[in-house]
Amino acid sequence: MSLLKKIKKFILFSLFISFSMSQPTQATQFNYYADLVGDWSEIFPDQNRNAAGPKFFKHILGKKITFQDFLEYNKLYCAVSGSLIDPNNKPEFVYLNSVENGEKICGFYHRCCVPCSCDLMKYSKVKKMNYTFTDGEKEFFVLTISNPCGKDDFPMEVNKNYFCNGKKLDAKQVYVLDDRLVIGLFHNASKCNEQSIAAIDKHEITGQYCAFRNTAPLEEVKGGMGDIFIRLAKEN
Amino acid sequence: MVIKYLLKFFLVLFFFVYHNHSKADFFKDITFQIENNDFRLSYGISVTDVNQDNKYEFVVTGFGFSNLALTYQNGKIVNINKNEIFDDAKRKTIGVAACDIDQDGFEEIYFLNTDTYSGEKKYSDRLIDNNSDSFVDLFEKEINKKNLNLTAGRSVVCVDRNGNGKYGIYVANYGGPTRFYELRTGQILDLAEQLKINKITGGRAVVAGNILSGKMDIFAANERGKNFLYYNSDGYFQDIAEDYKVDDQYENGRGTTLTDIFYRGRLDIVTSNWNGYHRAFVLKDNKFKDIATPTYNIPTRIRTVISADFDNDGYDEIFMNNIGEPNKLFKIKENGFFEEINIKNAYEANGLGTGAAVADIDDDGILELLIAHGESGMQPLTMYKADIKKDFKYLRIKPLNKFGAPARGATVILKSNLRNHAKTIDAGSGYLCQMEPVAHYGIRDGEKNISIKIIWTNGFTETLNINELNKTIEVTQK
Repeated sequence: MSLLKKIKKFILFSLFISFSMSQPTQATQFNYYADLVGDWSEIFPDQNRNAAGPKFFKHILGKKITFQDFLEYNKLYCAVSGSLIDPNNKPEFVYLNSVENGEKICGFYHRCCVPCSCDLMKYSKVKKMNYTFTDGEKEFFVLTISNPCGKDDFPMEVNKNYFCNGKKLDAKQVYVLDDRLVIGLFHNASKCNEQSIAAIDKHEITGQYCAFRNTAPLEEVKGGMGDIFIRLAKEN
Repeated sequence: MVIKYLLKFFLVLFFFVYHNHSKADFFKDITFQIENNDFRLSYGISVTDVNQDNKYEFVVTGFGFSNLALTYQNGKIVNINKNEIFDDAKRKTIGVAACDIDQDGFEEIYFLNTDTYSGEKKYSDRLIDNNSDSFVDLFEKEINKKNLNLTAGRSVVCVDRNGNGKYGIYVANYGGPTRFYELRTGQILDLAEQLKINKITGGRAVVAGNILSGKMDIFAANERGKNFLYYNSDGYFQDIAEDYKVDDQYENGRGTTLTDIFYRGRLDIVTSNWNGYHRAFVLKDNKFKDIATPTYNIPTRIRTVISADFDNDGYDEIFMNNIGEPNKLFKIKENGFFEEINIKNAYEANGLGTGAAVADIDDDGILELLIAHGESGMQPLTMYKADIKKDFKYLRIKPLNKFGAPARGATVILKSNLRNHAKTIDAGSGYLCQMEPVAHYGIRDGEKNISIKIIWTNGFTETLNINELNKTIEVTQK
């Protein structure tokens, strides 16, 4: 086993232990985080999780779970970076444009770090999705990007084989909605009202910081995933 | 030419009016009124009549600092406590609630001390009785020593479970069994096991009032576990949180209060979660539905939540006290819309809020908001009140039970041509805190035909017509 693999295994094990310890005291409460950590090798056989939120989303949908379980699992990874995140993370309140009519949809995004919120707001769009869970059919909003598989500049840092079958999205590995790649769940989402838009626009991250990041030239974008997700999601 | 001048004049006038208006703030800062307002670690605040003069004091807990009894005297807020047991600077007090447990018409004060985060603690809680001008800790009596609470806890709430004016105290412990203390034949007994509410959880906030049963039910917002909603059946309790969809098991409960979101004459549950979605649970078709939407439900580092009509416009506000993050204020408008009010005073961008309470401490018809700070750094208290014109109208209803004590847990409903507005006589709420035992109503523009209905803790009701405003009306249970 290479040193890198050992280090990765150690980090994953440490994360698992630390978050297991910080979980609820009630024995009856299921530990979603530990479950996802346990599934890591299955989700990412080559250990490359770069921008691989779609893999998490598809993997979670494959479980026989209730809608509530689905919500809880989807709080635990970053749809932009593909990183697992602290179960006690605080979601960001953001707006994104709807694919259908361009109207602003407000909701909550669980992110690993601040720049991901900005990248999401600029490069992702939301769509309504229906799915049948063990407790019935539910409707919710998902985060999507357009099909990146035909890109000549598909980012090398991302495992293309996770998402694509040639120039098409691989529905066996990721969830595809009207030829758009679903990268994660948009929590508690609904059409924005003026109060919500104003709050997001004046927020120090989604307002001030994102305005700065999202107007910087691509080669100067630093922090978070750098420009990896942007190159993946950017529409040509 | 004249028209041009007039136009210019009105434009300039408009600018100044608009500018001044935009600079006006909801609250004014009256912290300067607090004497000897030192940097300290404070937590919960209760409002009760400490010195039995029929006026209320703010009781502020100290975490390794003195517990304070702050009263209003000649334009100042001063600490009137001189008693060592009450002061108790050696102990670390965080939760506080007051109610009459011995039916003498005066409220005893429960101080919840905690010196560990979870599980077993070193120092017990105190239950202070004002006995012949001297404070006595009932837990220091030999007969009560076997029933001490030695588990780390958070909030306390008073519960008149049988509706007979004999209050018990629900203690939300953390990592140990919940306790429920009552005085029986001169002895403080823990009845939690008998009442089947001795569950172990991460107890955080707790409220009690007329939620469903018509008597005093209990709602406990917990951390790392499901919330409890205890339905009162003849003084015994049944947890129906899951059935009524308020268990919220994946969130970490904090500030909670009871308020009438739709102004329909019944109490709803407003409960917040640490860095999680804040909830506004309203009853619909035998289930509670969370109607909270952004920007109200955006996760924050929330501690205390208070619902009160600060500006006397007849609509309640919700004040959200955060720690290490700015506070927020919302007005509950018609149809459950929470309108965010931008505040400058009480915003407290660097405030380490740990508790807050409201009371009309200076008896001017406008509520004062006292905020405690601490935990991760010493900060003084702060105090605010709404900055409003003098032509407001209000009505304050102060229900007293048949022993003459504040009827905490009773519900007051103001009925008029414009609303049916329920308020609870606070038995413990916010987070670690307890508000004044008075239903404070601002009166709306055009409001008439006002009457008041009181639902006592035994479920019996009493109605009175209101002919005069701008006063506090004491109503004693028959």
